[in-house]
Amino acid sequence: MNKKSLLILLAVSVFTVAGITPASAKDKIVNGIDANFPPFAYIDKKGEPAGFDVEAMNWIAEKNNLEVTHKPVEWNSIIQTLITGKIDVIASGMSITEKRAEKVDFTIPYWEIKQVMVVPENSDLTIEKIMKGNKKIGAQKGTPEAEWLKDNEGENGYNYELRIYKSSPLAVQDIMNGRIVAAAMNDAPAKDICSKKDVRILGEFGMHAEDFGYAVKKGDKELLEMMNQGIKDLKASPRWDELVEKYNP
Amino acid sequence: MIEAVTVIKNALPFLLKGGITTVTIVIGAMAIGLVVGVIMSAVIVYGNRWAGTLFRIYIWFFQGVPPLVLLFMFYFGVFNYIGFNLNEIMVAMLVLGMITGAYQANIFRGAMQSMPKGQFKAAKALGMSNLQAIGSIILPQVLRMSIPAWSNEFSIILKDSALAFVIGAPEIMARTQFIASRTYQHLPLYITAACIYFILTWAGFKGLKRLENKVMIPGYSYHGA
Amino acid sequence: MEHNPTSRTEPILTASNISKSFGNDLILKSVDISIKPGEIKVLIGPSGGGKSTILQCLNCLETPDSGEIRFNGERIDFHNRKALYRYRQQVGMIFQDFNLFDHMTALKNITIALQKVKGMTGREASDRAFSELEQVGLQDKSHLYPAELSGGQKQRVAIARALAMKPKLLLLDEPTSALDPELVGEVTSVIRKLADKGITMLMATHQISFMRSLADRILFIRNGEVEEQGKPEELLGTGMQTRCQKFCYELNHMDGEKL
Repeated sequence: MNKKSLLILLAVSVFTVAGITPASAKDKIVNGIDANFPPFAYIDKKGEPAGFDVEAMNWIAEKNNLEVTHKPVEWNSIIQTLITGKIDVIASGMSITEKRAEKVDFTIPYWEIKQVMVVPENSDLTIEKIMKGNKKIGAQKGTPEAEWLKDNEGENGYNYELRIYKSSPLAVQDIMNGRIVAAAMNDAPAKDICSKKDVRILGEFGMHAEDFGYAVKKGDKELLEMMNQGIKDLKASPRWDELVEKYNP
Repeated sequence: MIEAVTVIKNALPFLLKGGITTVTIVIGAMAIGLVVGVIMSAVIVYGNRWAGTLFRIYIWFFQGVPPLVLLFMFYFGVFNYIGFNLNEIMVAMLVLGMITGAYQANIFRGAMQSMPKGQFKAAKALGMSNLQAIGSIILPQVLRMSIPAWSNEFSIILKDSALAFVIGAPEIMARTQFIASRTYQHLPLYITAACIYFILTWAGFKGLKRLENKVMIPGYSYHGA
Repeated sequence: MEHNPTSRTEPILTASNISKSFGNDLILKSVDISIKPGEIKVLIGPSGGGKSTILQCLNCLETPDSGEIRFNGERIDFHNRKALYRYRQQVGMIFQDFNLFDHMTALKNITIALQKVKGMTGREASDRAFSELEQVGLQDKSHLYPAELSGGQKQRVAIARALAMKPKLLLLDEPTSALDPELVGEVTSVIRKLADKGITMLMATHQISFMRSLADRILFIRNGEVEEQGKPEELLGTGMQTRCQKFCYELNHMDGEKL
């Protein structure tokens, strides 16, 4: 009997760890994040989700008396995750693009970003050389810059070999490894990376600037309205400047 | 160098919690696989022909499609359509469980077919039903015989559990990535993750070897084991 | 030793017109066998002639292709699983290769069926098991596993296992053929004891001298048919010139065993 009860105990604990969520009084909302995207979303030293968008979302949720959880999701399938209802909103440094807007509803823009190239600190490359000199460059999978680079290969005299990475930090790692000479990314995470590694921002490479927006499931008017209002309120409050100061995006 | 060590030291608790997720997924998957494998192999060897054919198709499917594809298929597709709203850990457990179930079914089937037919005949001759004969006579021997192969399967599933991070399960690989994105200490962190996996594999093997020794029949060596 | 099967009683088992093929091989053409309570019938004949098959058809371990089996007057339905399970509880079988359950001790080999099939409690089952082991002289080996027993000991445990179920009929499929010569004796003496107790037995064997003194009737089976049958003295007495005798003579010459 002893062996059997041990097995039952094991089974129960396995399914407990796997399944339960504690009950709470407030209504819940789940925010899907790419936890590999500092300073907008990442996991801090304590193992908790942190970042500009995480805190912005926290602020908006509190104002609406909602309990928010931030769920790290694979960036490449984050829209699919939203559509299938496993998350309610994406507040995680997501660029507003036409293609994405076909699948989700975006809020008003809340931040503008430029697309830049990041190169090693001591590199003497120029944008010209990177774009036309048959070099190897990198970008994060599923991002507008990756797509833009793919679409524009061979156009305008561009000549480069594009490599795709799961995240920007991984692309930068490969710059350090020498496999690529430069990586394309948004200027905000670029700044973050440059402060931590021996790389620098070279400058824009010809891609248009983009806006970040929050995304909700298509047709979720109520949530969209709430998020739009939230952005307006946040920008009007001192909290906005606090966040900008803190995260320096 | 020092920075690397600090980062690892700070990251360890977070990574080890990921280890709990990993272990949960693996234990759950292996358990599901065991049940699925035993049932399918018993039916294929001793049971109804049509059911057996159905199970053979199942095995062919789950052995043929890459685990990654299956994870996506079930997480975003199948479970969604049938309204099953399971979290990623459970999905990973179920999908990996179905996959290892297919491989385990083959392991047990091979063991069953290598058993002397006389065992089953003697059980029937005493008046035992098929179920009793399989449960009391065949399975105890088949399971003992299969421990080495099962050990192998465990180590494979442990490695496959790293795939769960593509559906967002907070296991070791996912967590290693998070810390690496924040600290850029990729290599030291991945080495740490590798060590954790290694320790888990080693612990599993050790445990199973002890089990094997504990249930060994005195004087008996298994045919073709 | 004489035992007296009553010739007036009804047969406990009758099998008529049993035929069986395996794939394209017709092993049993048409076999009729019956046996009365307390009778001992022996099947002899060449390998592949059908002795083993007929025994396995009698307890439906193999399903006969055609024919009828009646046990205690009742017809056995070959396709009714539950009926077959109940039937087999009453017909014991001893195999040439012993077929002890390798993962269980001698004692457990016996108690498992008592508990699972007859529903006895652990205590009841082990009491009966011990007593059966005693009958075959192996009570001090009850805790050993089959791998730790000699061939003769294994077969004796198998006999105890079958008898523990208190079957009405015992089928023995060449019980000593897989044993080294020096171990044959311990098994044949156990079987002799069973005969003395009046256990109904149908046995296939190559041990001519042994079975000759035991058998009430001998059936000579070859090519899937009962070629000859009769009392031992009818088939094997001096000067009888039966085919059976011819076969035994040849067997004797190969085995070096005295008739």
